[in-house]
Amino acid sequence: MAIEPEPVVPLKHVVGFKRPRFKESGLMGVLLALGLFLSIFGGSLQVTNRDTSEVVKVNKFMRADNLDKLAKNTSFFAIMAVGATFVIITGGIDLSVGAVYCLAAVCGAMFLNRFGPHGAGAGAPAILVVPGAILVCLGAGALCGFINGLGVVCLRVHSFVITLGTMAIYRGIAFVMTKAQAYTDFPPQFTDGFVRREINWHGASLYPVPLAIMIGVTVFAWWYLKHSVTGRQIFAVGGNEQASLFSGLPVNWVKVKVYTFSGLAAGIAAMIMLGYYGSASSDAGKGYELDVIAAAVVGGASLAGGRGTALGALLGALIIQVINNGIIILNIDQNYSQIIIGAVIVLAVLLDRINNTLRERRMTRAARP
Amino acid sequence: MNIYHIAARVTLIASAILIVAGCDQKKSEVAPPASGGAAKKTEYTFAMVAKSQSNPVFQAARFGAEDTAVEVGKKLGVKINILWRTPNEDDAQKQVENIEQLVLQGVDGISVSCSEAETLTPAINQAVDQGVAVMCFDSDAPASKRFCYHGTDDNECGHIIMRELAAVLGPGKHVVAIPGGNQNARNLQNRIKGALDEATNYPNISIRGVYYSKEVPQDAAAKIEEVQTANPDIDGWAMIGSWSLFTDALLKWEPGKVKIVAMDALPAELPYLTKGVVQKLYAQQTYRWGVRSVELLADKVILGKNPTNVMDYSELPPVTKDDVQQYEQNWKKWLRE
Repeated sequence: MAIEPEPVVPLKHVVGFKRPRFKESGLMGVLLALGLFLSIFGGSLQVTNRDTSEVVKVNKFMRADNLDKLAKNTSFFAIMAVGATFVIITGGIDLSVGAVYCLAAVCGAMFLNRFGPHGAGAGAPAILVVPGAILVCLGAGALCGFINGLGVVCLRVHSFVITLGTMAIYRGIAFVMTKAQAYTDFPPQFTDGFVRREINWHGASLYPVPLAIMIGVTVFAWWYLKHSVTGRQIFAVGGNEQASLFSGLPVNWVKVKVYTFSGLAAGIAAMIMLGYYGSASSDAGKGYELDVIAAAVVGGASLAGGRGTALGALLGALIIQVINNGIIILNIDQNYSQIIIGAVIVLAVLLDRINNTLRERRMTRAARP
Repeated sequence: MNIYHIAARVTLIASAILIVAGCDQKKSEVAPPASGGAAKKTEYTFAMVAKSQSNPVFQAARFGAEDTAVEVGKKLGVKINILWRTPNEDDAQKQVENIEQLVLQGVDGISVSCSEAETLTPAINQAVDQGVAVMCFDSDAPASKRFCYHGTDDNECGHIIMRELAAVLGPGKHVVAIPGGNQNARNLQNRIKGALDEATNYPNISIRGVYYSKEVPQDAAAKIEEVQTANPDIDGWAMIGSWSLFTDALLKWEPGKVKIVAMDALPAELPYLTKGVVQKLYAQQTYRWGVRSVELLADKVILGKNPTNVMDYSELPPVTKDDVQQYEQNWKKWLRE
């Protein structure tokens, strides 16, 4: 019996198909639309240039001071959301992220307080204090994440349960360590000299370090997910864990890595918070886990696993913060803020999903002979 | 039957005996003393249920209660124990559970700061119906059967903060904002109402808005920074709650450019006065919350005396740059540092 040859797809159909560059184009669109809306309807105000004492009229939203604050407020959530996205891609969830942030901040705060102007180690050189504080925050965060990962892998319990438990444990440890006291009095080398370092740009005071760290973390996470072997393994585990296991992938080790990265990201966010606000207490980051997961999901991460990007997480966090900022700029009654934020999150996700569906249809149509 | 089965059965029987014995023991502990020939009670237990463990003002109240329990106990020739039963975070439901548990434990009196008056009222009433004296401190449940309230007059506090801010701002047009904290907290709502009512007496002052946030220092500071950046014409903040001042983020504000009058005088807030970023603080008597709780409960339970005023308002003394040193000393004592 002669075997019929498979029909060959004419080359012209394939050549005409172009892969879209950004999966996050829908989110970018939402963000641009929000920005445009606030720039047009937010109004303007008169400010005095600090350098020239000249009074100038500026847009309320699209001005350096406002965008700088927006970036700073986004940085904590975005960095944690990038970490949480790693976990979500594998099909897990990290509910302890707010508590890890809190514990890392408290550990860092106790270290910094010791080297503060009135601490036992006052006068220590910046070259020791700053890297030491960074190490403490990042180390504490990564350790908490590592413990979460071990718990998920060794106990074979869903991450929801493990991280629900560790959320209480970490916050409890932070509480016992601080005895309900806020830790302040940090060395200025870490606050004003590092995280809160001010630059003057056209008469506006800007604090670019949180923004720079946020971009750095996102770029690294993007590269790691897209170009590293572990990155590919993370998507494989999230797409089909059983198949990954049978393919010989180190599934457990991949899981431990993603939880550790999530903890590390919370530690980085805690470090920024310490440097910028100059204090930490056991109630820091209360309720942040939901904001972080919301940012990751708005950013396109699928709670079923196998889907999500670092840039998406950043954009998700940014969209939520822009809405918060918009409520203030438009002078909307604060009592309605939660309703507005919730509604816009749902709308943003819906628009992104519609955009993705349309794109997939276009791709299918383009690939069809 | 193998060794594991025998061990399991022995363990089960032993557990059952222990549980029965334990229940019996508990019953005998909770049982009220016989009214006729019972000896005079020499030991009393008062409980304090504050809003949140993580708020330092309540730690001061706790130490105030513990110190006063010793003093009052000596004076009256009895032993007064203080039980501290406060949820880790603001949670009215947890407070209700704690009150119910305390009543079961057989405490003589409870002093509670209500996270949410409506949720706490039935639990307070139930405790009172079961013979436990209940009072409120810091945050009241006015519709409940509590025998008195001790703390700040929140409405008056709002008036004072706004009046002082108006004085600090002086003549001319001014734009003022109010940080609101938790939208559901009755005491904060009363302060906001007081501040807004007072503002109507000053036609030169316009209120830009009430801005709510979590009562967490970093969140509150972020909100204030964001509002101030979006509205640079705001030149006064009537801080009916001063969570944002527990960070040092606003310390970099140019002293005197934006005038601030705020509640409380916690250690973290004092540098703001020294630097001149905050013009005046109004100190809630947090240590005295504990002191008065024990005094009022002892009067009611041990001496059978009702308070002269059901609303036992505490003072709200102003704190300026000159008082910073004294307050630093006070806090060392109040927090047992």
